[in-house]
Amino acid sequence: MSDATDAVVLEGVSKTYQLGDQPVAALGGVSMRLPRGSYTAVMGPSGSGKSTLMNLVGCLDTPTSGRVVVDGQDVAALSDRERTRLRGREIGFVFQTFNLMPRLTAAENVALPMVFQGVSAAERELRARQLLDRVGLAERANHRPRELSGGQRQRVAIARALANDPALLLADEPTGNLDSATGRAIMSQFADLHRAGNTVLVVTHERPIAEHADRIVHLLDGELERVETIDEPRRPHAGDTQ
Amino acid sequence: MNFEESLRISVRAIRGHRLRSFLTVLGVAIGVAAVITFVTLGASLQADVLGEVAGDRTPSMAVSAGPADAAPGPSGPRQAVFTERDVEEIQALDGVAAVVPSGDVPVAGLAFEGQTLGYNQLTASTPAFFDYRTAAEFSAGGPYAQGAAELVLNEPAADLFEVNVSVGDRVAVVRPDGTRVNATVVGLLAASDSPFGGFAIPRVYVPTDPFYETRLESPNSGTQQRVYPTLTVVAEDFQRVGAVREGVLAYLDGESDARQLKPESYEFRAQTAEDVVDQIRSLLDTFTAFVTGIAVISLVVGSIGIANVMLVSVTERTREIGIMKAVGAQNRDVLQLFLVEATLLGVVGALAGIVLGILGAVAATRYAALPLTFPYEWAGIAVLVGLLVGVVAGLYPAWNAARTDPIDALRYE
Repeated sequence: MSDATDAVVLEGVSKTYQLGDQPVAALGGVSMRLPRGSYTAVMGPSGSGKSTLMNLVGCLDTPTSGRVVVDGQDVAALSDRERTRLRGREIGFVFQTFNLMPRLTAAENVALPMVFQGVSAAERELRARQLLDRVGLAERANHRPRELSGGQRQRVAIARALANDPALLLADEPTGNLDSATGRAIMSQFADLHRAGNTVLVVTHERPIAEHADRIVHLLDGELERVETIDEPRRPHAGDTQ
Repeated sequence: MNFEESLRISVRAIRGHRLRSFLTVLGVAIGVAAVITFVTLGASLQADVLGEVAGDRTPSMAVSAGPADAAPGPSGPRQAVFTERDVEEIQALDGVAAVVPSGDVPVAGLAFEGQTLGYNQLTASTPAFFDYRTAAEFSAGGPYAQGAAELVLNEPAADLFEVNVSVGDRVAVVRPDGTRVNATVVGLLAASDSPFGGFAIPRVYVPTDPFYETRLESPNSGTQQRVYPTLTVVAEDFQRVGAVREGVLAYLDGESDARQLKPESYEFRAQTAEDVVDQIRSLLDTFTAFVTGIAVISLVVGSIGIANVMLVSVTERTREIGIMKAVGAQNRDVLQLFLVEATLLGVVGALAGIVLGILGAVAATRYAALPLTFPYEWAGIAVLVGLLVGVVAGLYPAWNAARTDPIDALRYE
């Protein structure tokens, strides 16, 4: 069923947590495909299983049952080390709270995922500069996160997510901590990346953010409620709003 | 993740908490410094004491008989059991250069220039006694002659009288029965510093003939002979000390007069200068080990400091650990990162400790007026210990960090 053109495939994925001696079903039998180059949004109220879905797709967690296939590899069949390796190479995370390393410069933050993949220092340096240039932060390369604005931090995080040229960009409420103008600028970055051929999955509870995607997957109580196709997604260009 | 990379990140982390890192390093530094200071002090003390004891050694041994369980050494109980025949027999043994018998002559007092002083014993021996005695420097005159009414005083003894005794003076020896024997002072010995302090006991030395009157019948020859409690046996050279010692003890335990004259429970001993040095060394080693042990405690406390700081650091950086894992850090990358940081603290502490320790050792030896003997290998050991302390103290916190679940860590506030 998994297609070579799919970045991620979920087949009947369930996740049950043990809360004390009480099993809690966070996700119950979700199936979906993220074809390469697609732009998907996941929406749902809190407790709908958004975070669990994100952790599974991001190879941070393994399903209780069902299959999660990332870049053709069944995540559950991998050892912890192999899973970490797959995550480092094929998943680029963008978090709501940016999650940059506070003591590293912007360029060092962008280079960090490459450090764990054994990329040489010279190559890391070069690629980090290129990526920062791509998100419009070339001149801020040697600044620490605390010297950057929220929007700039998120752009550094996006550049970091792209470091190992992953199969999937996974963004969790990427505009949640930003004002609306900055949020729009960030979303235009994602639109640019989508146009450049990247596969994007955005988890959000804000409808306007979700409308940037080709389709919206609605989750409710751990189940896939419906898939909504957006006929005319919002596709701002980076530079439209800065 | 290569070592260079983790070192770079660790240095950043350490510099991010300057005061905390400084205090942690200080803890280890004090521990290492204390160890180095005390070990150096011990080594210097040992070198000083042994240097005096073993200074100008002769290949000699002190032969005596005493209770089997008595502590060896010059102060143990002993009996006069060695006859003149034994002296001659030992003299004839292979490798023996000289045998110098000595014993005490009980007296009531000494009289000089109309002044009589109570004094209880003279040391009787042969002229050769002065050849093999360490630190027996004549400040005036020379040794007595056998068979002559002559004596030698050390300077503290010469100073006992109101009028200082000098070579050529006649001193009267008052025997226990009140009779007086006049003797000519032929030599004065320079006061030698005892290695254990400045005190020097007044001593008066006389020839065995005519002064030494302790006699017994020699069981082997059947004649009345002088018997001595101590024989100083001198080997021809240092290489033969061991063999001579064996030979002397074999003779004594065989057909010697001494074997028959000594109580059954007594044993013969031949204590070489080496034995004395060994005893002192082991005594000082015990002392050094004790003091160093106390210093090691402070090193342990220092390492607990590292462990504590690293645990706090891991907790503080839970979120950073989560980020690193999310972007592809393996457990061993995280382990390495924290281990390198802990080790760095330990090594920097040890290096600072070496500097502090050397300063402390220099100050302490100067204060105690000891020659500085720095045990260089301890500097190397200190760095190794710092490394080890860092690794051991960092192992648990680093392992804690490595097994952190990235999902929990990213949610951590």
